[in-house]
Amino acid sequence: MNKQAEVAVAMRGITKQFPGVVALDDVTLQVRRGEVHAICGENGAGKSTLMKILSGVHQPDAGELEIAGQSVQFHSTRDAENAGVAIIHQELELVEELTVAANVFLGREPRTRFGFLNDAIAKRKAQELLGLLDASISPEEMTSGLRVGDQQLVEIAKALSLQASIIVMDEPTSALTDAETERLERTIATLRLQGCTILYISHKMDEVFRLADRITILRDGRHVCTVNKTETTASEVTGWMVGREISEHRFRSQQTVGKCLLEVKDLCVASQDSSQSVQLHNVSFRVHAGEVLGIAGLMGAGRTEVLEAIFGASNSQWQGTISLGGQAVSFAHPSDACKAGLVMVPEDRKRLGIFLNLNVTENISICSLFHAIRNGLLSKKAEEGIVAKPMNQIGIKTPSLTASISELSGGNQQKCIISRWLLTKPHVLLLDDPTRGIDVGAKAELYELIDTLCQSGLAVVLTSSELPELLTLSDRIIVMAEGRVTAEFSRDEANEKKIMTAATLA
Amino acid sequence: MKLWSPFPLHALRRWWPSQNEWSLLVAIVLAIVLTALVDSNHTYFFRPFESLRDIARNSAMLGIFSLGAAVVIIAGGIDLSSGSMIALSGTVCSVTMLALAPTEMMAFKPVGSAVVFIAVLASLLTGFFVGTLHTWLITVVRLPPFIATLATLVGLRSFARALCESSTAVLTPTKSALINVADPAFKVVRDNVWFSVVTFLVLAFFTWLMLSRTVLGRHLKALGGNEQAARLAGIHTENVKWFAYCFGAMTAALAGLFYIANESVAAPVNQGRGHELNAIAAAVVGGCSLSGGVGTVQGTVLGAFFLRVVIDAVSKIIKTGADVYEGLIVGVVVVLAVTFAQGVNGLRHDRRILPGSLGLCTIPVLALLAGSLASMTTGAASGVAAGFTAFIALVALRIWENRSHDKKAQVSNSQ
Repeated sequence: MNKQAEVAVAMRGITKQFPGVVALDDVTLQVRRGEVHAICGENGAGKSTLMKILSGVHQPDAGELEIAGQSVQFHSTRDAENAGVAIIHQELELVEELTVAANVFLGREPRTRFGFLNDAIAKRKAQELLGLLDASISPEEMTSGLRVGDQQLVEIAKALSLQASIIVMDEPTSALTDAETERLERTIATLRLQGCTILYISHKMDEVFRLADRITILRDGRHVCTVNKTETTASEVTGWMVGREISEHRFRSQQTVGKCLLEVKDLCVASQDSSQSVQLHNVSFRVHAGEVLGIAGLMGAGRTEVLEAIFGASNSQWQGTISLGGQAVSFAHPSDACKAGLVMVPEDRKRLGIFLNLNVTENISICSLFHAIRNGLLSKKAEEGIVAKPMNQIGIKTPSLTASISELSGGNQQKCIISRWLLTKPHVLLLDDPTRGIDVGAKAELYELIDTLCQSGLAVVLTSSELPELLTLSDRIIVMAEGRVTAEFSRDEANEKKIMTAATLA
Repeated sequence: MKLWSPFPLHALRRWWPSQNEWSLLVAIVLAIVLTALVDSNHTYFFRPFESLRDIARNSAMLGIFSLGAAVVIIAGGIDLSSGSMIALSGTVCSVTMLALAPTEMMAFKPVGSAVVFIAVLASLLTGFFVGTLHTWLITVVRLPPFIATLATLVGLRSFARALCESSTAVLTPTKSALINVADPAFKVVRDNVWFSVVTFLVLAFFTWLMLSRTVLGRHLKALGGNEQAARLAGIHTENVKWFAYCFGAMTAALAGLFYIANESVAAPVNQGRGHELNAIAAAVVGGCSLSGGVGTVQGTVLGAFFLRVVIDAVSKIIKTGADVYEGLIVGVVVVLAVTFAQGVNGLRHDRRILPGSLGLCTIPVLALLAGSLASMTTGAASGVAAGFTAFIALVALRIWENRSHDKKAQVSNSQ
C-alpha cells in the first residue's frame, strides 16, 4: 500500500494510433510522487501525445493509466482535472479578453448565493495563488496585456486552483527570456516543496539537467529508458533521443566571401499600434555572397521585423536604405522582392508557410507556376518535372509527389518551402527561425543544406532562437535587443555568453 | 528519387473527392427512382421529358450562380449577396431596355438585338461593379466578407427596387415595382431550355479549366487555404480576391438575366430572394469547405442538381403548394449531406447522437418536427402517429446508446 502511494502516475502499455501513424507504441512509465520527471524526445517522438493522454485530451487505444494507485479512465480534460492532473500546454490556452482572475477560475467561477459571479472571491483567491508563485501580477489585469512568461504563471495558478497534484508542462520555456526561465525554475522548486509531481517536457538539455530528478526518453513512440539524472550525461540522453550519437561539428570551414549582395542601412520602423509590433532603430548590416549572417536576439527583439521589412512583407512603413546588389530597393510586396532575387522563408511554417489543402508538388511549385504552362494551361506533368529537381537535390522524403503536405514531417515540410523559393533562383535567402519545431536529425540535414546553398554563392540571413544553431552556421552574428543592433561578432569572436550579454542590453 | 511509402494514404485521399461525387450521383438516382415510384401520378414515367426539362432549367439557373458561390468559397470568402445581385441584374437589364426603347417596351414589342445586347452587357458590368465593391470593402476597409456581403445582400435589393421605381416614374406614365420583358430574345431563352443548360455547362467547363489548369485557379486555392502564406509566397492576394468576388457577382448577374427571361418580368421585390443560400448550399453539398481552399466544380454541379432534384421530388409527391417546403428541404439536405461527408470521421470517435442532457432535450424537438411536418402534409391523425413513433424511436435509440456506451466503458476499464 505504501509503495503504491509513492507512485503518482503509472502508465502501462499505452498505445495510440492516429490515421497513418502509430504515435505511441506500448509505452510504460512510472512517475514517483513529488519528483520532477523530464520527458525527452525528438519532435514526433510522442511526448505531447503521451501527456495529452495523461491529461484526458486523447484517449489511448490500448493500455492503462493509474493515478496514485487507482486505475482511471479519462474521457475529457475535466475527468483528468478531477483526478488532480493539470496540463500547461505549449500554446497557452488563456482567454485573452478576460482578466487574470477570470482565467484562473474559467469554468469554475465562484458564485454568490443568487448565482451571480462573485468577482471579489475570485480576485482574492487568484491573488493568493499568484502570491504562492511569487508573481507580481494583478488579478484584475487583462490577460492580453501580460508577457508570455506571466501568462504561463497564470496557467500554473489555474492548475493550482484545481488542486492539481500532478502538473504537466509542455515545453514551457520555449518563449521565455532567461529571467523568466529562472523564475519558472524557482516556481517549480516551490511546487515541488508543496508536494506536487511535475512532468516536464523539454528538449533543452541544460534545463532538464538542472530541474529533473529522473529523465524518460521516448523515440518514435516507444519508451527508450528512464534514468536518474545523476547517472547519465546530456550527450548520452541526446544520443538516446536520436538513436545515434550526434557529433556537433561546425559547418563551413573558412572560405572566401564574395561581393556584398545585401546592405541594410539605418532601417527604422515606427511601431504602428503601440502594443504589438516592435520598433526598429537604425538597424544596419551587410551580407556577402557565400556568407551566412546570423541575427541573434530574444523573442521580441525585432529579428522577424527586420526580415519582413526587407522582404516587403511588413505592414508598417520603414525608413532607411536597403540595397540589393548595389541598387537601392524598396519592395512593396513579397512578389517584388522575389522578382529581384530576394526571398524569405517565414517563421512558423504552419501558419505562414504551408498550404494544407495543396499537395507536396503544389506547395513547392506555387511560386514558379508560370514555368509549368504548356499551351496556355497549367501542365501537371511540367509542374512535377520542375519540382522533381529540387526534391532530389534536397532529398525531401515524401510518400509521393501528390501526397498531402500534412503527411510530411516538419523537417520535410520546411525543405519543401525552401525548395519553393530555390526554384525562383534567388541571390539572397532570408531564413526566419527555420528549424523551429524540427527534430534533431532533420536539423542536421537543414544545416547541411544551408551550407551547400552558401557554397553555391547565395547570401543567407538566418535568425534562430537557439544560440548553438547560430554559432554552428553563421560566419558573422549580429545581436539585436529591443529593435537595435547591440553587437556584431565574427565567427571566431562569438560565444553564447557574449551573445546573451548583448541580447539582454536594454 | 527517394520515395518513402509507409501507407498509401495519398491514394485514398485522392480518391476522396470523387467518392463524395459518386455518393451524390447515387443519391440523385435514388431520389429520382423513389419519386417515380412514390408519386401517385407517376409523372416521371408518363411525362419524362417535361419533368426533365423542369429539373434541367431549375438546376441550370441555380448552377450558374452556384459556380460563383463555389469560387468565392474556395478562395476563402463568402458571398451572401447573389440573390440580391440577381434582382439587381434583371432590373438593370430591363431598365436599360426601357431607357433605350421606351415605346417598344411599353407596347410589349421587340426592342432590337442591339438594345438587348447593350442591356445584357450593362447587367454583367453591374456584376463587375458589385464584385469590385465587395473586394474594396473586404481588402481596403477590412470588413469580414460575411459583413460586407450581408450589407450588399440587404442593400442591393433595396437599390434595385429604388432603381425600378424611379426609372419607371421617369420613363413610363406610372411608377411601377415591375418591368415587363417581352422581347423575343428573352422568349426564345424561356422556351428553349437548352439555352440555360448549355450556358451552365459551358460556364462549368471554363470554371473547371480555370480552377484546375490555370495559375489563377491555383492561386485561388492557395488564398483559400492560407491567406498569409499566399501573400508571403508572392501572390497578390487582393487581385485574386477581386477576381473571385467579381466572378461570384457576375455569375449571379448572368443568372439574373435567365430569371427575367423565364418570368418575362423584372421583379426586384422578390426575384432571387433567398436564393443565395441555395447556391451556398449547392457548393457545400458538393464538397466545398466553408473554411476555404477545398472544393470542385464537378461537386458543385452535382450539388446544384441534387438540390433541384430533391425539391422537384417533393413537389411531385405533395402536388400543391410544394414551394412552401423548399427551404425546409434545402435545410435538411444540407444537414444530411454534410453529416454524411463527415460521417467517416464522426463514427470513428464512438460519438453518440443523443448524449447527455442536450440529447434528452433534442428528442422532443426532433419528434415535434417530424410530427408537425407529417400532420401538415398528410393530416392530423397521421401526424400525431408519426410524432409519437419518432419519439419512441428516439427514446429507444437514447437508451441503446447509453447502454452500449456504458458497456464499452466497462470493457475498457476491466482490461
